[in-house]
Amino acid sequence: MTPIACESRDLSVAYRADPVLQHVDFRVPVGSVMGIVGPNGAGKSTLIKAMLGLVTPLAGTSEIFGRPLDEVRNRVGYMPQSATVDWDFPTTVIDLAVMGTYGELGWFRRPGKAERERAMAALEQTGMQDVATRQIGELSGGQRQRAFLARALVQAPDLYFMDEPFQGIDAKSQQSMIEVLTGLSAAGKTIVIVHHHLASVLDFCDHVTLLNKTIIASGPGEEAFTSDNIRAAYEASDGAEAFLTAAE
Amino acid sequence: MDPIEFFSNHIFRMVFFGTTVIGIVSGALGAFAYLRKQSLISDVIGHAALPGALLAFLTAVVIFGVNGRNMLLLIVGAVITGTLAALFANVVAARTKIAIDTAMAISLTTFFGLGMLLLRIVANNPFPGKGGIQDYLFGNAASITRADLTTSVVVGAFALTVMLVFWKEFTLRTFDPVLSTMLGFRARVIDTLMFATIVIAIVIGVKAVGFVLMVAFVVTPPAAARQWTNTLPAMVILSAFFGGLGSGLGAYLSISMGNVPTGPVIVLVLFAIFLISLLASPKRSIVVTALRRVEARKALKREFNTEGAPR
Repeated sequence: MTPIACESRDLSVAYRADPVLQHVDFRVPVGSVMGIVGPNGAGKSTLIKAMLGLVTPLAGTSEIFGRPLDEVRNRVGYMPQSATVDWDFPTTVIDLAVMGTYGELGWFRRPGKAERERAMAALEQTGMQDVATRQIGELSGGQRQRAFLARALVQAPDLYFMDEPFQGIDAKSQQSMIEVLTGLSAAGKTIVIVHHHLASVLDFCDHVTLLNKTIIASGPGEEAFTSDNIRAAYEASDGAEAFLTAAE
Repeated sequence: MDPIEFFSNHIFRMVFFGTTVIGIVSGALGAFAYLRKQSLISDVIGHAALPGALLAFLTAVVIFGVNGRNMLLLIVGAVITGTLAALFANVVAARTKIAIDTAMAISLTTFFGLGMLLLRIVANNPFPGKGGIQDYLFGNAASITRADLTTSVVVGAFALTVMLVFWKEFTLRTFDPVLSTMLGFRARVIDTLMFATIVIAIVIGVKAVGFVLMVAFVVTPPAAARQWTNTLPAMVILSAFFGGLGSGLGAYLSISMGNVPTGPVIVLVLFAIFLISLLASPKRSIVVTALRRVEARKALKREFNTEGAPR
């Protein structure tokens, strides 16, 4: 059996009294690229946040590499949703990438030359070295996502969580990001991606989870990503119908 | 008044250096308040610090029978009620459907009203050493003593040291609270430390400037500095510089002009720095931005017109 990178058992989360996730059993095999797909408000981001200990679940447990999160923090990377970032924050691309080293530095220790070199290497990997000294707000949509991808790479984790990494980016940036992701996957890293564009899910995900407060289906791409499952997850929403009609 | 005459006077020197230290400290610490979008909470803290300072005075005089106008005592009282007011606003906003701006306005006016009431009680009763206590409201720079200056420097240096020691943690928590928590940095520890530095930035100027106007020292310099800078270290340094410059210049001007209160003049000088920054900064100037937008719209219009023209 393939080892498991992260797993939640009977996970339920509520914001105030509104249930967002109910009895979610979710497991991601090591080395897979798992796409979490579902309609707005399905709890996609919440699932990631619960696994990362950012929201406290009402019930259930999560484990990363078979351990509590606290013991494996340094093996986990995270890329936030673009909309939640303060793009006017006075920081440059290179400084952003250096933040990827903060976890292993821990309290008090400051990043030095070695950390900056690692950050620069990650920027080269994502094709961002030429804009390293730009303030992050001056970047295009695609560059912004690549800057955050670079920061996640600097963390050098074994498991990546990415919240809508392809939101608002151009085709070229998307291509170069997919190349990086493919490379990570080939190197045995595990990637969990929240994604909302149904048509492109199977372009880069080999596993899919359809989520709408509960798990509708989860598994290898073609097995889980079936018309019936998509319909069940989206409850006949217009966007999904259009996609399914186009696919048939 | 020429500078030699100015600096040979002990009181003038105290006013100048006292307000400059306050400006530097508040300007530097204010940068994080600005970036965390907590400018208004500084206003709440400033107003709510009044009853705390007065309660500290009353406690010292009535219960312990000691001098109630000790600056450190003042700061402790101000920190307590300032914190309570900010907590109250945040808890109300988080637990009820009342929005944060309403919660802050209610908190601010209630604590300030209590402060005004205490001020009247102090004024109407023969407490020893109460002279000048009405200055807590709008400050009196001429009352700065050497001991006050020392206290400002020590407390200010302490707050700045906290900021420098936790620079990395403060930056990450401000910019990306999610990653900060995820990497295992305790949010509550960082927030408490940051909040403490912001409160210190406000209460440090109580004697010289008063609580009401101190907010300008915390809010205006960073807003001006952000116009010119693109990195956090540069912004904090420039904000401290603007704070110090505005305070020193304001103090000098107010004394040179004769019987003019120092705090308000400094606030006006800080506003002038802010205005110049808005208009003249190379990348974010409102003039340059507006001109660029007009040009871009013209270009767009030409493009649409050629596209739409009959062939």
